Amino acid sequence: MRKSLLPSLLLVTMLVLIFAAAETEAGPLDSPGAQKALVCSACHGFAGNSPGNTVPILAGINANYFKKAIKDYAEGKRLSPEMEPYSKYVVQFGVDDIANYFASQKRQPAKVKADPNAVSRGATLATQCISCHGDKGDGDTEGTIPALRGQAAGFVQAQLALFKADKRKPEDAILEESKKRILKGLDNNDFADLAAYFASLK
Amino acid sequence: MQNLTRRNFLKASGLGAALLGAGGIRSFAAEAKRRVVVIGGGWGGATAAKYSRLTDPSIEVTLLEPSREFISCPFSNLVLAGVESLKNLTMNYNGLRKHGVKIRHEAAAAIEPDKRRVRVGKDSLEYDRLIVSPGIDFQWELVEGLAQAKDTVLHAWKAGPQTLQLAKQLQSLADGGVVVMTVPPVAFRCPPGPYERASMIAWYLHTKKPKSKLIVLDANKDIVSKTGLFKAVFKDYPNLDYRPSQKVEKIDVGAKEVTTEPGDKVKYDVINLIPPQRAGAIAVEADLVGGDKRWCEVDHVTYESVKQKNIHVIGDATIGLPVPKSGNVANAMGKICATAVVNLLNGKEPPVIAPGNTCYSWVNDKEAIAVVNAYKIENGKVVQIEQKLTPGKSVAVARNSLAWRASIWNDVLG
Repeated sequence: MRKSLLPSLLLVTMLVLIFAAAETEAGPLDSPGAQKALVCSACHGFAGNSPGNTVPILAGINANYFKKAIKDYAEGKRLSPEMEPYSKYVVQFGVDDIANYFASQKRQPAKVKADPNAVSRGATLATQCISCHGDKGDGDTEGTIPALRGQAAGFVQAQLALFKADKRKPEDAILEESKKRILKGLDNNDFADLAAYFASLK
Repeated sequence: MQNLTRRNFLKASGLGAALLGAGGIRSFAAEAKRRVVVIGGGWGGATAAKYSRLTDPSIEVTLLEPSREFISCPFSNLVLAGVESLKNLTMNYNGLRKHGVKIRHEAAAAIEPDKRRVRVGKDSLEYDRLIVSPGIDFQWELVEGLAQAKDTVLHAWKAGPQTLQLAKQLQSLADGGVVVMTVPPVAFRCPPGPYERASMIAWYLHTKKPKSKLIVLDANKDIVSKTGLFKAVFKDYPNLDYRPSQKVEKIDVGAKEVTTEPGDKVKYDVINLIPPQRAGAIAVEADLVGGDKRWCEVDHVTYESVKQKNIHVIGDATIGLPVPKSGNVANAMGKICATAVVNLLNGKEPPVIAPGNTCYSWVNDKEAIAVVNAYKIENGKVVQIEQKLTPGKSVAVARNSLAWRASIWNDVLG
């Protein structure tokens, strides 16, 4: 018995070592959120790092802000032919896992190169934005004010235009007031500059 | 200790606990060598190969794809109108190699389900699970005269040399010449594709050859996809003559004439005949297709064939799900199927995930329209949650389509 056990012991030790080696290679999709978010990467990029200019980068997004955005799209408060159906897709899974998945991903800076002149003009204009969005564009920790640092420029520009046209509104009356006041003096070129600036922040 | 099995010993020794903690027990036989073979490196197959490795890097994944280049069918209609180059739509498979996918640029000759292997030339590849993503093939025999003429009558329905040839024929067309395009009966690859193509060719003729016209002979009763949006777009093009319920029965290359089912004869200077379609030949030969001998029925959660165990089918070749045959759906199926396959190989329950569809169609050199579908799984079947269309054509939608392509090409190949 003892003699026959020894080869088994060796075998088991070897197998455990093999297992251990394999398990350290566990894939980046080993979470319920990653699996529920599988279809999102078609537009939002792997782990939420969208390479496209008009699709928002979700990596590192505040989970509360993400949940609010999904709710607003699903209720038709934010209009997007793309996100209205997909917000309901996310809702079917209960939102939390997907929100936590994207929140825990590392944001890589926007990939689309910006014109340095636009960035510099945007930096000047952005002095009006930083009291809420933070001097690095990090937003707030509660998830009321979104992080703009490294966000896709085309997306930010389009959102500014929607705010100005009153097609998107912050729920908070004070935020809406200040946003309207700032946007009143800005046009679409300014929005492009602002978006280029925030996209450039690493 | 008389009945000392390996598993009991693991538990007894405490080593099993470490193993369990590290991610669960896998069967030893399966762990020894788990092999996934993927047939076809299109939107579905390339995605499935990549995501199988991403989900579990210990699995050996081999992709069989004869072509060394991936050419995107989406956006190839823009090449016909000269607003995009085929070069911009052409990519390589190096990204997949970085994920550890073994690529063999060879065609799968046959599937042997009983032996769980795929024949490749004189060689054969064994698999534990096979993912078949064969795309579509054409049913030349359904149009009289087409089989004999097939290289001279262009389909341009698989992006590549034919796309360039058709673009060249359109460029060489004399102003005043007639272009005829035919739409096959459903189901076919990319339901809005023929209408996007019609819009882009009509735009091109309208701009460059104002005396020319485009006649669209549609085998279907009406525009198959984004119907209202395309109808509005077609009004922009007085040179576009759209004729529904005109199934092409016959082509006479000598007379430059097609005959439709009602008996109409239509003359052309340039013909683009999109033939009727079925699943790629290998799926038909391996008996993965249903009674219609055209498409493959699959489980809606795992994409396992209802006809053959351990063989999964994804992409345009599938039927029975309420989803279009689109690149976006193939990409979603590739990811979901890969996750299911890996979980099954690891003795785990596959997650229950439905696909999604984001589909843009360009209608001139600057503007596009879109349809978006979200789905869920109900009682094991894919059902639609919602479909949303853009209100009309716009530059903003066209911009979104460029962001989409940058992202999804990377998701498939990057």
